[in-house]
Amino acid sequence: MATQATETQAAFGGFSAELFSAHAAGQTAAPSWWLERKRAAYARFASLAMPARTDEAWRFSTIAGLAVDASRKAGPGELGAAMPVPALAARAALTFSGNRLAGRGQPPPDLARQGVTVETLSEAVLRHPDLLREHFMAQPQRLGSGKFAALHEAFVQEGAFIHVPPGVEVSEPIVLVHRAEEGPSFPHTLVIAGDGSKVSVVDLFLAGAVPQRTALAVGANDLYAGHGAKIAYAGVQDWSRETLSFQLNSTVVRRDASVQSLNIHLGGRQARHESLSQLQAPGAFSEMLALTAAEGSQEFDQRTLQIHQAPNTKSDLLYKNALAGRARTIFSGLIVVDQDAQKTDAYQSNRNLMLSDDAEANSLPGLEIQANDVRCTHGATTSRVDPEQEFYLKSRGIDPTRAHELLVFGFFEEVLNRLGDAGIHGALTEMIVAKFKGLRSPHAR
Amino acid sequence: MPDAQTIAIDPSAAENPAVGIDQSSGNFSYEMKYEFDAGSGLSERTVDYISSVKKEAPWLREFRMNALKTFDSKPLPTHWATRDLENIDFNKIRYYLASGGKPKRTWDEVPDDIKRTFERLGIPEQERKFLAGVEAQFDSEAAYSNIKDTVAKQGVIFVNSTEALREHPEIFRKWFGKVIPTGDNKFSALNSAVFSGGSFIYVPPGIKVSHPLQAYFRINAENFGQFERTLIIVDEGSEVTYMEGCTAPKFSTSTLHSAVVELVALKGAKIQYITVQNWANNVFNLVTKRGLAHEEAEIKWIDCNIGSRLTMKYPGVVLKGRKARGEVLSIALANDGQHQDTGAKMIHAADETTSNIIAKSISVGQGRSTYRGVVHIPRHLKGCKNNTECDALLINSNSRTDTYPAITVRGDRHAVQHEASVSKVSEEQIFYMKQRGLTEGQAMSLSVNGFVNELARQFPMEYSVELKRLIDLEMEGSVG
Amino acid sequence: MSILEIKDLHVAIGDKPIVRGVSLTIRTGEVHAVMGPNGAGKSTLAKVIAGHPDYTVTGGDIHLDGHSILEMEPDERARAGLFLAFQYPSEIPGVSIANFLRAALQARMAEGEELDASAYYKRLYEKMDFLKIDRKFTARSVNEGFSGGEKKRCEILQMAMIEPKFGLMDETDSGLDIDALKIVAEGVNRLRGPGLGMLLITHYQRLLNYIVPDFVHVMHEGRIVKSGDKTLALELDAKGYDWVKNELVVA
Repeated sequence: MATQATETQAAFGGFSAELFSAHAAGQTAAPSWWLERKRAAYARFASLAMPARTDEAWRFSTIAGLAVDASRKAGPGELGAAMPVPALAARAALTFSGNRLAGRGQPPPDLARQGVTVETLSEAVLRHPDLLREHFMAQPQRLGSGKFAALHEAFVQEGAFIHVPPGVEVSEPIVLVHRAEEGPSFPHTLVIAGDGSKVSVVDLFLAGAVPQRTALAVGANDLYAGHGAKIAYAGVQDWSRETLSFQLNSTVVRRDASVQSLNIHLGGRQARHESLSQLQAPGAFSEMLALTAAEGSQEFDQRTLQIHQAPNTKSDLLYKNALAGRARTIFSGLIVVDQDAQKTDAYQSNRNLMLSDDAEANSLPGLEIQANDVRCTHGATTSRVDPEQEFYLKSRGIDPTRAHELLVFGFFEEVLNRLGDAGIHGALTEMIVAKFKGLRSPHAR
Repeated sequence: MPDAQTIAIDPSAAENPAVGIDQSSGNFSYEMKYEFDAGSGLSERTVDYISSVKKEAPWLREFRMNALKTFDSKPLPTHWATRDLENIDFNKIRYYLASGGKPKRTWDEVPDDIKRTFERLGIPEQERKFLAGVEAQFDSEAAYSNIKDTVAKQGVIFVNSTEALREHPEIFRKWFGKVIPTGDNKFSALNSAVFSGGSFIYVPPGIKVSHPLQAYFRINAENFGQFERTLIIVDEGSEVTYMEGCTAPKFSTSTLHSAVVELVALKGAKIQYITVQNWANNVFNLVTKRGLAHEEAEIKWIDCNIGSRLTMKYPGVVLKGRKARGEVLSIALANDGQHQDTGAKMIHAADETTSNIIAKSISVGQGRSTYRGVVHIPRHLKGCKNNTECDALLINSNSRTDTYPAITVRGDRHAVQHEASVSKVSEEQIFYMKQRGLTEGQAMSLSVNGFVNELARQFPMEYSVELKRLIDLEMEGSVG
Repeated sequence: MSILEIKDLHVAIGDKPIVRGVSLTIRTGEVHAVMGPNGAGKSTLAKVIAGHPDYTVTGGDIHLDGHSILEMEPDERARAGLFLAFQYPSEIPGVSIANFLRAALQARMAEGEELDASAYYKRLYEKMDFLKIDRKFTARSVNEGFSGGEKKRCEILQMAMIEPKFGLMDETDSGLDIDALKIVAEGVNRLRGPGLGMLLITHYQRLLNYIVPDFVHVMHEGRIVKSGDKTLALELDAKGYDWVKNELVVA
């Protein structure tokens, strides 16, 4: 709901009306309907209040951390060293840098022949206006970030648009890379899978070669699976450690379709991730997976909503967090089953592995069930590494640090094993291991 | 000052409306010697009246007055709780009525299904009229004085709130309002302003009270449980079990019941508090219950909620001392027009503390049940454990169930596990049982009883038998 | 003596026909085996007689002692003397075997009559001992956490306690090793007598070595295509189900 916001509230991040006008003026190729949507989005952004501590949707979040001044330029000495590029990035179909297209990879020859569209958002606005009107930011914002979704829509400049025609199966995963540069990032990915089609997408969000103190990223992606379609999506967030990140995802699953969405969270100083899954027709299946490796003073705030709107649908959520240092995580997951959604199977599991004395894990698993012929379970567990297991590895000659790494990695394997593609599994493993070198328990001797 | 309509208080009249009532007659011509009526609506006058009738010490009067201010200043918690709360008309409620003289209704006026329930549950004749609101007085005086004398030999104090604060302030004042501060929530503030009745119990060190103490002994007309205040202090190494309520449906003129229960278990002490609530369907039952468990102490809440229009109750334990243990076992049954909004709160404040929550709910017809839980384990504690299991059973397609736990764990030295499930009674199971000759209704009852069995077994025998019968009754209605 | 007559029965699940005209008469004292490949409709037959809600009778009738039972609820049929030993017995958490059987037996007694507890337990233990079911199982929830063999033995225990007129055994041997099979078969044989008629649904001949049938029927695609005595089972075992299919094609 829109409430009248004060000057300070509306001016989050320095996104003033002037800044928006400048941005809109720069969209020279965009058609008027697109600009109209952006203007309406900016008006919404300005009118909505910032989240407050008493909002249920922001319970346990560090509200004070939601402050950023996107207009501020980095001073001398604040720019860090270049970040290593993961191997997977080399296969990217589209690479964006600082909200602009930086490169197009060599597409597999089949893609064009099959009629698969992999293009930029600005191209799609011109070539597929109908699809964009129907699907772009079309889903409701139910998890508390309405203000930031509006900000994204107002300022988004570039993104990936993937459309797979009915019946087409894309064998190779389509890789997308979004690199941050100076200034806020607004990455966007829209995947539309036609009836009976099959596609796999990997989305990498990487710190630019130039990390900044006041970095901001507000991204959104939408997955739409038509009748009988299959989408496998994997997103890896590895922004700089100074970044305040919002990522708003939604999934729509139609009849007999299935979507697997895996999100890996590694970077940022405070990252909010919202994931909405709508099971809209019988036979729909949504698998929601996440891995978070939190350390230092990072805060990862994950909010999910699985809504079952039709009978015979299934959802399965597994979110695993490993926390070290003084990190904080919040997991709030709600399963909603509508009155007519009989024979729903819905599962939700949040597992937290505590690796330090100062880490904090918050779990808010929730259920709102209105149909009676359902099977729904949710569970949340928080524990430390099993000392028996640690001892067992050590008794085989493995040193404590390595033993710990192995066990923590094992904690994550359960999620990674759900991936269908061995190549992606391997590539993602590498990215996580690189972050992991730092995660060790102070109790290990 | 009391308003002109009521009778001036005879200074010699202590607060015992039983005096002057002809109990032997089965009809309703009571001698109206005393009537304590604060009128309806809540104001400083009301609170003042209550305090005067009870001849309370100035500190207590001031406590009540401050509580009234707190109540007025707090909003209803509708930003997270149901908006049905807005239907409470605070102005229409009588906050203090010792209606020893006034019958509430005739036996003929008691609805048939209530009478049938009494029959099915095997409630003794004499109790039926009392429970149905037909008689104002339950002859519990005899039973009560018996128990009171027996435990007094062990040094146990078992009296009502007024007597406790007047005769034993040195024991009770120390903890009164400390476990649940007045400002904890709007309804604890209300209770703090107008409380009356309830049990205050003190058990000296090293005593295991063998016989469970019952609130039932202490109920009289004034204590229809409306704004009961209970405080149980169990000293080092002692144990006591307290039971309140009963499975039979309880009629009440008042639509608002807002009780406060504070438990204090000192080192090594054990308190078990059992409640079976079956208020009539017009009652808002909003209760604040919390226990403070010191080193190696244990507090166990066993809670069964079957009646009322809306129950909001989240028994909690603050685990203040090392190795303290807290447990909440809860069964809730929500039928048409009912909302059971219950849960548990476990606040860990010391090392090696353990908490266990098992909550089972059944939603029948259009009933709605909600679970809300809080488990909090702060930083720098070690070795704490929590286990939570909450399961919901939905019987009919119009029932609704919600689950909202919140779990915060800091540090790597704890183990916390929460599991919840929602299901319906499976058709395969019902067919299996029918094939063995059971009717649909019998099969459903068995299934539902099986669902709560583990928990029901923790209730004292007489309750668990009645509980089973009650569930059978509720299930019969639901089988279409 | 009681008679169970299946008369030209047609059964569908949804709109898919499974049983397409089966006629069979079973008298108490007789053991009939029904064999056939998967999908022949054998299990369906047993479940339909018991009144399973998933199936629809689209034609024909079932008579128990001359009266049609099609309009009777499953529990009414059970109290009339039919017992189904399930292929996949349900778990009933929180309900102990002792209480469950007590409820089942009490359901068959007249209004006001109470089950004699000590006589009940005496009988229960005797039968449990015979079926080699640990007496401690009385307190366990029905079928919860039971192995395949334990579940099947529990079914036979129930049959032994309830003493039906007709026992419908739905693939009682599936999932059992030879030792478990022997125990189950012994249990069934002990119940065998003039007061009990049995319908044994099985895929394999093996069970029939232990529970020797009086009649054997072979089902294929929803019909009984061949009937005989116990030697038919041996022939089937030697030649396989394809033999039956081929015989039909030729005929």
